[in-house]
Amino acid sequence: MTEPRVRLEGITHRFGSEPVLRDISLDIAPSELLTLLGPSGCGKTTLLRIIAGFERPSEGRVLIDGEDITSLPANKRPTNLVFQRPTLFPHLDVFANVAFGLQVARVGRGEQRERVAEALALVRLEGYERRRSHELSGGQMQRVALARALVNRPAVLLLDEPLSALDLKIRLEMEVELRRVHRETGATFVYVTHDQREAMALSDRLVVMDAGRVDQVGTPTEVYRCPASVFAAQFVGNANVLPVEVLESGNGDAVLRLGSHTRRIDYQDAATGPAWLVLRPEAVRVTGAFGANGTPDSLPGVVRDAAYRGTGFSYRIELSELDAHVKAETRGATGHEVDQPVSIDWDSDACWLLPRGEEETAPPAPTAGEDLRPADRDRGEEIEEPDRPKEETKG
Amino acid sequence: MTGTRRSPITGAFTVAGLVFLWAPLLLVFLFSFHSTGSLTFPFEGFSTRWYDEVFSSGVIRSAAENSLIVATSTALLTLLLGTLAAYGLTRSSSRLRGPLSLLFFLPITLPGLFVGVALLVAFTRVEFSLSLLTVTIAHLVYVFPFFFLVARAALERLDPALEETAADLGASRWTVFRRVTLPQVWPVLVGAACLAFALSFDEFVITFFVIGPDSTLPMYIWSSLRRTIDPSINAISSLLLAFTMLLFVVTFLLTVWSERRRRGRSLAEDPLVLTGPREGTA
Repeated sequence: MTEPRVRLEGITHRFGSEPVLRDISLDIAPSELLTLLGPSGCGKTTLLRIIAGFERPSEGRVLIDGEDITSLPANKRPTNLVFQRPTLFPHLDVFANVAFGLQVARVGRGEQRERVAEALALVRLEGYERRRSHELSGGQMQRVALARALVNRPAVLLLDEPLSALDLKIRLEMEVELRRVHRETGATFVYVTHDQREAMALSDRLVVMDAGRVDQVGTPTEVYRCPASVFAAQFVGNANVLPVEVLESGNGDAVLRLGSHTRRIDYQDAATGPAWLVLRPEAVRVTGAFGANGTPDSLPGVVRDAAYRGTGFSYRIELSELDAHVKAETRGATGHEVDQPVSIDWDSDACWLLPRGEEETAPPAPTAGEDLRPADRDRGEEIEEPDRPKEETKG
Repeated sequence: MTGTRRSPITGAFTVAGLVFLWAPLLLVFLFSFHSTGSLTFPFEGFSTRWYDEVFSSGVIRSAAENSLIVATSTALLTLLLGTLAAYGLTRSSSRLRGPLSLLFFLPITLPGLFVGVALLVAFTRVEFSLSLLTVTIAHLVYVFPFFFLVARAALERLDPALEETAADLGASRWTVFRRVTLPQVWPVLVGAACLAFALSFDEFVITFFVIGPDSTLPMYIWSSLRRTIDPSINAISSLLLAFTMLLFVVTFLLTVWSERRRRGRSLAEDPLVLTGPREGTA
């Protein structure tokens, strides 16, 4: 493996006696777009500020390109941060904002002009040099902030929820822009967000954080398909988490017991005993009345809620035998009625098992992030926010 | 209009109050243009002779010069020290920040008499001879809390993220202050310094204790009033009034201008107020 661009070694941080980060070690590769993802209060922003040099970790080291920079103040670090709100200097125009870092570094005037023009071209704001920040839209301001950071060619670009203050529509456009800028610059990005959809759309790798710890590190696909914990399963995408018992395991197979029901699934090396079954809603198949064309393995249930979502239906189905509910996303134009008995089944290779304590019967309540914007949590297909007026779509 | 009906008594009280407040001022102003030395009605015609007298008097001129020297030094010193104190305290993370800040502006509650006596005792104790320097020091003590309060409020209103941004872009502490903090607050600071100037320029009580052999304008007015009521006093007072009001107007305008600048921007920075055509990104 090549040398990491950023290496975090055993970072622990306390505010007073309250630990907000616990023993975090992480390598970030050059040109990688890494996302720190977690609910608010999980410590992701603190970790970013430690890399930027605004906080000094209580314990541990920060290395950039092999050099220990733990004790360097922010203004001496090869990092630049894009803040959550666009923090443009109100007394300066766009050019002076973008040129700020170059001027502080005493770069010659000719080079300043060249590099500012280059940076503004990168964020597609050519010709905006003389604008003031109050003449820009929110999205434009955040682009200027991005150009102002990138113009310094930082070893690492840090982004602290840079899109969260923007309207959903502009946010989605900016995601496309960020991916393009990342491709074109080949810079290393560390991106903080609480929005799992955004994280999956942008990242090369995700770091799922919970209560000051790293829960899982992996590509979006890995984290989505093979979550390391019930927390990761529920925070990244929608998930059904059901208590099961693994009765047998071997030969790439496992036999599960759900309530009084048994089911064989494709699964490598499952540990026998109690487990959580993680089932993504889109892997759940819903068929008509029980027994009609369901396989012997399918589970009986009753539709408790149904919503049409364009690409198909989303259901909430009560499993009569299990005292549990299952969310399902189906495709197609015909659906099932509320209170209609159905049977559910799933692709036998689409499930994931996690260890469960003997006593646990209900999964821990989903984190706050889960309920904030239920609509856009389902892999980005549905992008409507109920509480904001819809903008006119044009071109 | 369904509010309570205004009673004629309320109106009468309002008028009486306004007359009480403004009549003496207007009388001084009016009689400063009186053509005779009489300070009572009937008014016998306009003239600017008292103003001519004021401008030609060497004593008054030197008193006015002293006042200008003291007020200017006080304002400049306050601007420098008060800005440093307010900046340091608003950016400090020390636990003493609150109590210290209180110590800085609490002297605002001290009676002038007390400050005057205390300083006089202190100066004589250390055998510091009384002069315009002691007056300047005394005025600094007096106006500092006013300046500090205004400066602290202005600095606290600034978005700390802007200073962090500048530091992140490589700026040292000093560069951040010079290139980001100061450009945003200087109008308020200069306005507050004008206020300090005005307060110092017509300060009397404290000055009385620590002045020594020199004279300032308020001291001159007081001493000449002790002998006789000279109508030129009206002219001096009117000039003082006009000058002080001018300073307050400048202070006010600077503050309003700075506030409007800040507000206009923060309104535009509110990302929920996105107006105008969106930039196309297809």
